[in-house]
Amino acid sequence: MTKQRRLRHAVLGVALAGVCCSGLQARWLPTDDVKVRIESTELGGPKIVIEYDLKDPNISPQSPAYVFLRYSKDFGDNWQWLPTDALRGNGFDIVTKPGRKEVVWWGTDQTSVADLGQVEVRVRAIAMATVPAGRFVMKSLPGGGRDESNKAPPDANVPLYYIAKYETTIAMYADYLNEVGGQGAGWNSRMAKADRCGIVQENDHTYRVAPGREDYPITYVSWYDAMGFLQWCGLRLPTEAEWEKAVRGGLYLDGDQTRKHPNPLPERRYPWGDDAPNEGGVHRCNFDGPDDGFERLAPVGSFRRFAGPSGVCDLAGNVAEWTLDWYTTSYHVGLDGFRMVRGGSWMAVPEGCDAVTGATQLPLKESSIMGFRGVRRPTAGP
Amino acid sequence: MEKLNRRAFLRSTLGLTGTAALWPSTRVLGANDKIVVGVMGLGGRGTYLAQKFAERPEVEIAYLCDPNTRYFARVREAVEEEQDRSPKVVQDFRKVLDDKNVDVLINATPDHWHALGTILACQAGKDVYVEKPLAHNIWEGRKMVEAARKYKRVVQTGMQTRSAPYAHKAREYIASGKLGSVYLVRVYNMMQHPRQAKAADGPVPEGFDYDLWCGPAPKRPYNPSRAWLNQFDYSCGPIAGDAVHQFDMARFLIGDPAYPSAVSQTGAIRSLVDGRDMPDTQMALYEYDGLTMTLDAALWTPYLKKIPAGVRDSDQFPDWPFCSTKVEVLGTEGFMYFGRHGGGWQAYDRNGELVHSQCGRQGDKDHQDNFIQCVRTRDKPTCDVEIGHLSVLPFHLANISYRVGNQRLQFDGATESVTNCDEANRYLKREYRPEWTVPENV
Repeated sequence: MTKQRRLRHAVLGVALAGVCCSGLQARWLPTDDVKVRIESTELGGPKIVIEYDLKDPNISPQSPAYVFLRYSKDFGDNWQWLPTDALRGNGFDIVTKPGRKEVVWWGTDQTSVADLGQVEVRVRAIAMATVPAGRFVMKSLPGGGRDESNKAPPDANVPLYYIAKYETTIAMYADYLNEVGGQGAGWNSRMAKADRCGIVQENDHTYRVAPGREDYPITYVSWYDAMGFLQWCGLRLPTEAEWEKAVRGGLYLDGDQTRKHPNPLPERRYPWGDDAPNEGGVHRCNFDGPDDGFERLAPVGSFRRFAGPSGVCDLAGNVAEWTLDWYTTSYHVGLDGFRMVRGGSWMAVPEGCDAVTGATQLPLKESSIMGFRGVRRPTAGP
Repeated sequence: MEKLNRRAFLRSTLGLTGTAALWPSTRVLGANDKIVVGVMGLGGRGTYLAQKFAERPEVEIAYLCDPNTRYFARVREAVEEEQDRSPKVVQDFRKVLDDKNVDVLINATPDHWHALGTILACQAGKDVYVEKPLAHNIWEGRKMVEAARKYKRVVQTGMQTRSAPYAHKAREYIASGKLGSVYLVRVYNMMQHPRQAKAADGPVPEGFDYDLWCGPAPKRPYNPSRAWLNQFDYSCGPIAGDAVHQFDMARFLIGDPAYPSAVSQTGAIRSLVDGRDMPDTQMALYEYDGLTMTLDAALWTPYLKKIPAGVRDSDQFPDWPFCSTKVEVLGTEGFMYFGRHGGGWQAYDRNGELVHSQCGRQGDKDHQDNFIQCVRTRDKPTCDVEIGHLSVLPFHLANISYRVGNQRLQFDGATESVTNCDEANRYLKREYRPEWTVPENV
């Protein structure tokens, strides 16, 4: 490693040990004051303790943060996932309170760490929404009505899950590329278009976000790109059922166990209710044309007044979103078939932004009207 | 049915008075003029074709057209990525036909719209690239041929393997006599289809002109789960819709015999008992002049595979016994496996020894090249409308046999009618809705 690069990594080691994003909720949630120390255990091996501040006061059981950690043992040349089964504490995975967090890393991966000076840790947090377990009204036909592998009945019961409040942003995706992008994996030249995306690849294969584009949703990502980003985070794409339940909510908004808060519109057409996206001259999401205030993409969260019943923003319009489900009329192993995309986009007619409209796309498709968000199911307790 | 002359027909179908005189004449294309295209039908295939034609520098996609506005965004975005000008999006394809600057209509609608969409386009002076299977029934397939000839239009059927060079090599090999006399050709289409989902009839979604979508077919109550592919009202069936590619190849390989003189068929719904009215299992035997052709088709055979993506466009060959989209050519001296999707072909001698292999590439681009070239030269395209008609006709006969109780049917090519079963002739043509009728006289 060159001296210049070591210096850059040393600086990054401070700045990125907690990836701070100046409080912009739509990007990583702000984490701060990351401290890493090494302690001996009674068994003789070391354990590493990571502390940081999770400052967003809005974090709650209904709006938790998803926190994941990655580390490097070679001055930032290579970064690895810090597996949650090697972690203890209150500051990783789904975190439901803000404040000072402590994570103890005590597993096999850290035993080779002899010198703490080698180690850099990055803590990143994503704003999530909790969708309680319980039945909901599934009105679309799963997999476009063709996929037998997806048999969610109309009155489907979906276990508790957490879904990102916002679509993955350009800033988040550029951060990912800078960590793992190497020679260009996950990036394509169309992403450089500043009016429809805005990530520029530099000559040294680092990536920068076009000025002012940080909070816009990432576009031109294939299904595989989306999966790559989400695996890097420890998340996955939502199924169609999860996506649709995030739009409509369950029969009870607090879940089937408590049943205290019936959903007033369990069959709603849009996240906010049944009003059309442009009804009464009120623009509730980013659809085709400039009347909603955006000729093309809008920054994520621009229509947060019209979030779904669990607080998930931008499910309607802006970018259509990849889901985990696939679609086929004739499927065969070895043929990589269509995936389902939901939610309408900035190019869609208003009614195409509803809870049931889906489109098919080949998984390699990179489009200026498609992005994604992540989902997490609870990890099993001890 | 009452005969309509062209003027009356146009009035009835367009819902306009005096419109016939307004049909634009054919635009004269200069060598450097862009070919202006409208795309009718924006499902998966229409989206693919729109994108592929938009990638061509000599083409401009001017219109995207579908009764369902929800389809607009996906394909518009794909086209805008490939060309400078944004296409217009419209629900009613007649707006495309009204535009005298449009040269070509790509018709990628469901089967029931292939004929009327194509005939109206021919009348409006447009050349047409129409998806397979060419027509919903035998009668309207013939009307499409008549319209293309009458208005001197280039009409290419979307059976692209016909344009693949490896198919031409195979045809030359067979014509050279290396297989001896060919008396038997077997066509396979062994698929894995899912069951239809079940849902109640419901309101037509906003932004979907369901009446226009139904067009010439009956307007049944809207049901989101109804797969048009599985219903006789809208389709030739999932077997015909896919197997027609292999059957067209079979005909091509042995010199394009025109009509079978008889079909023996047995069809049934064995596995996919889900409300469909089309068979999921079909075996047919066609008697051509000096030749027997067979069709083995089913929709529930997962172990038989379409040619894998890694084999297509490569120098590999399919695992022939388990290839679901193959043609077998049996001669007195040798045998040939032929694969769709660029699967190539291999020939064996009388001892079963492999004597010739030719790998393949898919013919999509060659097929589109040929069409664009013919639009300029006015030559007949590789898969002219009449070829499309004659390749799907055997499937219509098999379906008719199924509908009349799996009877053996004798067929007269000169009149394109069944000679031994009056009931069968009822199915040569469909009932049309008055406002969307294919006329006797195109």
